[in-house]
Amino acid sequence: MTTTTRILTVDDSPSMRALLRQALFAQGFDVAQADDGVSALDWLQTNDVDVIITDINMPRLDGFGLIEKLRASSRHRHCPILVLSTESSDEKKARARQAGATGWIIKPFDAARLATAVRRVTH
Amino acid sequence: MQGQTHASGDHSVEFTTVLGSCVAACLYDPLARVGGMNHFLLATPAAQNGVPDAAYGLFLMEVLVNEMLKRGATRNGMRAHLYGGANLGPTTRRIGSVNSAFARRFLEVEGIQLIHADLGGNAARRLDFRPAQGRARCRIVAESPPEASPQRFSPSAVGVVELF
Repeated sequence: MTTTTRILTVDDSPSMRALLRQALFAQGFDVAQADDGVSALDWLQTNDVDVIITDINMPRLDGFGLIEKLRASSRHRHCPILVLSTESSDEKKARARQAGATGWIIKPFDAARLATAVRRVTH
Repeated sequence: MQGQTHASGDHSVEFTTVLGSCVAACLYDPLARVGGMNHFLLATPAAQNGVPDAAYGLFLMEVLVNEMLKRGATRNGMRAHLYGGANLGPTTRRIGSVNSAFARRFLEVEGIQLIHADLGGNAARRLDFRPAQGRARCRIVAESPPEASPQRFSPSAVGVVELF
């Protein structure tokens, strides 16, 4: 019996959350959503996922802060975290890597490539 | 400036563009005194490179919003103007209407207040926007806009994945 990979997407744009949900669901994943880092942490207190996909520029707690807090937590320390961002600078990528991100994906995203990345980091 | 996005809080800066079927979204945050403008054209209905137009459109709008946020604007503080979206070609190719509808829907879904729109028709527009003041001047012009080509990314650049 195979279990469906569960993803938490974190993005402050309702349009992007809807697009991601549609694209990932079509690829066979189970998708939960949060609208920023604080919402994500709240939700993750009582829920588990197989991978987290997060934007960087978000209010209250940005992607970097979210990654740092997750890596400091016992429950989600080892959960793969992929950054999905319009940014592509080496500086931002290095910062994400240092914080503990698993990878970086540049927007606009390709659904098939995103799905492949999710499968790679969850196996 | 087709396919480009610019934002600024500099009072000496003015952005200028000519619009045919393309749409320009002008955002302004009166508290931060920062404004930005993009100029985009979505592809004709068929998706290319395996990436739907919605993804491209969101990317272009998100870049604009992010440029505003970097300069101190907030999402709640932003106000929007939309210009362009003329249908210049045969009536069966209402590309301007498609672009206009996308822009309106984006602002509505994102909760960004649209305070003025000058969209549609069948004539080109010249737009001048002062981002630090949030002031725009738009007029119909006889000049033809530059030949529009949809914002496209090479297949290898879309959704590049880097695993650390």
